[in-house]
Amino acid sequence: MGSLQLNHVNKSFGATQVLFDINLDVADGEFVIFVGPSGCGKSTLLRIIAGLEDSSGGEVRIDGSRVDAVPPAKRGIAMVFQTYALYPHLTVKENMSAGLKQAGTPRDQIEAQVAEASRMLSLDPYLQRRPAELSGGQRQRVAIGRAVVRKPSLFLFDEPLSNLDAALRVHTRLEIARLHRELTATMVYVTHDQVEAMTLADKIVVMNAGRIEQVGSPMALYNNPANLFVAGFIGSPQMNFLRAAAIGMAGAETIGVRPEHLTLSKERGDWAGKVVHIEHLGADTNVYLETEKAGMVTVRLFGEVYHDPGETLWMSPAEQRFVYRFDAAGKVMR
Amino acid sequence: MSKATHSPLRSIAAHAILLTYTVIALFPVFVIIINSFKSKKAIFGAPLSLPLGDAFSLIGYETVFKRGDFLLYFQNSLMVTVASLVLVLLFGAMAAFALSEYRFRLNTLTGLYLALGIMIPIRLGTVAILQLMVASGLVNTLWALILVYTAQGLPLSIFILSEFMRTVSDDLKNAGRIDGMSEYRIFFRLVLPLVRPAMATVAVFTMIPIWNDLWFPLILAPSEATKTVTLGAQMFIGQFQTDWNGVLSALALAILPVLILYLIFSRQLIRGITSGAVK
Amino acid sequence: MATVDIAPVKKPFRWHILVFLAPAALIYTAVMIFPLISTLYQAFFSQKWEFVGFGNFMQLFTDPRLSASFWNALINNVWFFIIHMLVQNPIGILLAALLSNPRLRLRGFYRTVFFIPTILSFVIVGFVWKLILSPTWGVTSGLLKSVGLGWLFQPWLGKEEYALTTLALISNWQFIGIPMMLIYAALLSIPDEVLEAAECDGITGWSQFWKIQLPLVLPAIGIVSILTFVGNFNAFDLVYAAQGAQAGPNFSTDLLGTLLYRTFFGYQLQLGDRAMGSTVAAVMFLIILAGVCVYLFGIQTRLRRYQF
Repeated sequence: MGSLQLNHVNKSFGATQVLFDINLDVADGEFVIFVGPSGCGKSTLLRIIAGLEDSSGGEVRIDGSRVDAVPPAKRGIAMVFQTYALYPHLTVKENMSAGLKQAGTPRDQIEAQVAEASRMLSLDPYLQRRPAELSGGQRQRVAIGRAVVRKPSLFLFDEPLSNLDAALRVHTRLEIARLHRELTATMVYVTHDQVEAMTLADKIVVMNAGRIEQVGSPMALYNNPANLFVAGFIGSPQMNFLRAAAIGMAGAETIGVRPEHLTLSKERGDWAGKVVHIEHLGADTNVYLETEKAGMVTVRLFGEVYHDPGETLWMSPAEQRFVYRFDAAGKVMR
Repeated sequence: MSKATHSPLRSIAAHAILLTYTVIALFPVFVIIINSFKSKKAIFGAPLSLPLGDAFSLIGYETVFKRGDFLLYFQNSLMVTVASLVLVLLFGAMAAFALSEYRFRLNTLTGLYLALGIMIPIRLGTVAILQLMVASGLVNTLWALILVYTAQGLPLSIFILSEFMRTVSDDLKNAGRIDGMSEYRIFFRLVLPLVRPAMATVAVFTMIPIWNDLWFPLILAPSEATKTVTLGAQMFIGQFQTDWNGVLSALALAILPVLILYLIFSRQLIRGITSGAVK
Repeated sequence: MATVDIAPVKKPFRWHILVFLAPAALIYTAVMIFPLISTLYQAFFSQKWEFVGFGNFMQLFTDPRLSASFWNALINNVWFFIIHMLVQNPIGILLAALLSNPRLRLRGFYRTVFFIPTILSFVIVGFVWKLILSPTWGVTSGLLKSVGLGWLFQPWLGKEEYALTTLALISNWQFIGIPMMLIYAALLSIPDEVLEAAECDGITGWSQFWKIQLPLVLPAIGIVSILTFVGNFNAFDLVYAAQGAQAGPNFSTDLLGTLLYRTFFGYQLQLGDRAMGSTVAAVMFLIILAGVCVYLFGIQTRLRRYQF
């Protein structure tokens, strides 16, 4: 139990529409991530699912029943907020049990559920502390613990890692992944970070300007992006986009090749370019080239490679299947 | 908030309570103002009706302007308030800058010393203040009031302004120093303009109690030439207790300037309070 | 060859710090701190400048005529403060809680209106209410009659048993804006996400208010209380404006502030007494100091301020 359906959900704030006809099915136990640039409407959508915001049209169903008029606490959801949103005057333990207490759960059951969540998230040493006495990472674990305690059928995460530093972010990411495996609960997660999306999700929902651009597994989005936006958003460094006319390829408006799918040669290749800058990241090397007609191109090579700025090199796609062709509307062409 | 978390019934109840209190807050002011425009007969006959037709009369205002020297009182109040305000803001900002900007020995102690006056009312020193003013020949001059109000306003203004000055970027001040600005220039040209919103808040807080004070005008400057509006109104009303038209008009005259000023500055005042300026 | 000077460089005296601090410190010291100390000092001397130790205090506490008015004023003052606590805090919290609802329409209007009485001077407030409650004019009795409660009317300000409570309520009417605003500000500073988390936890409506919001605004209520305490224990203007220096009827509305005024300046046949005036001021100072200390060391340290 813990499925979610969104049917024709719309949302406007006054005259500005921020969500356009959102349709989505999330199966029980799935880990779904909404990803997109800031302002694309992903957080608003999450808040509509939580019941913290009204939709302007359409319906939200959780476990098959319509919940648009159901208060958040009765939807069987739990939410983890970006700023943790812990109750500052309550201890960690009281924070975690507040919801159950309000619902009138028997005391020993509350104890048991808090103990279980606390074990899962290694919160035992902090149970009597207040939020102000915890570090950012600990607070985030408490916030997650508060959600776990309620045994919801649907977990909602609103950019939970964006206030943590890089190392902690990787660590917490692993923890959330482990939690998902242990709890087998449905999770809906919002982020603007495509790495989080790629690493955690069963299914990614790419959003842009209030619309869903594409839904699919991480590798499906990587390998078969439906349009320019998704192709550009998923993958780092970003996919190279070249005007088809400028490089003499007919039948398409734009040609896209990922940096890691290009090879470099001093002698021959499809397009020539002058090395502008070169970045050594250790495991791989990014080479930035300026082509004569098609602008800048990034090439990502594995291992250590040395070239001098100003050198002219030839580049070619490693295989033809790595060349994406987009029409004038930005749709991928098959 | 969404409809799932909100009930219309509660919103109606909220408005009912708030409107009731609106009536309680405004009723007295309203009654005074409408009755100040009425004839004596109408004041007693129908105290809650509007001053229309026969009931309308300006006799009260005529009395006030004939008997009391309200223009002079008003001028006195204005001078005292403006002068105290300028001194409080200027000296307060300077001291706040010294306390928030520089590390020096006695910094904390000086800060605590200046903050004492936030909690201890200056009134308790009245006996010696009067002696001081008598000794310096300032009794029955506006300067006596200006000095007292400046001393009274400084502690809170220093406290609020130094909180705000701590938020001014150090980089900005250091950039000024590298450009060769003196500390005085940094204060007047860089810092003061940036804390202007806080200054406005402090100004409103300082102004209201000065304008409304009765104690010090009564004790330090009760002469005819130095009476403030508040004291003047008090004396006038005391003298003409039975002249209801006069009393009501005097009250209305005392309310209106403050009310108008408040409606102009209320945004500033409320923003000042709610921004946590007073902690 | 250049020698390295390792002795610390003597920095020039930073005159500007002194220049910035001096005007404020001078005025404050001369007009506020010095008179305060001087007043306290004079409490230990007689009218003729003879040192009398605690003599003045003894006289104030025990002299049949003086002590009667002192204890009367003190008890009145305590009652005045209790009424403020009982009336202004609950009403202030209620109004602030209602106003803090972000969906409420007309918030700005209500906020502005509720603060209007606070900006009016005591003289205005005192007389306005005196007129409105006056049996001669009959506004209040008329209003009560129109709702069938005419029998309830009393000349409240004129009766010994009601006058003080009535004045306290008038003072509450005047100052309700301050507790309301400070508590309102504290409520606004609670992040939306915390309240949304409460919504998700099912803590809604009144229980959200009691369990989440009220504990978080307790520090603001503490500040309101101490401000009220200080204000009440040197209150003077309202009583003087509404009831005169004699704090009538029959001293039933006498507060420490009015007592100080009469003692220092005299009234009718009694001559002003500088020494006794200083003594009353000293006692007020001690009461206020005690209150502030209780707040700072006893209450404030226990009321946690929360970082969100």
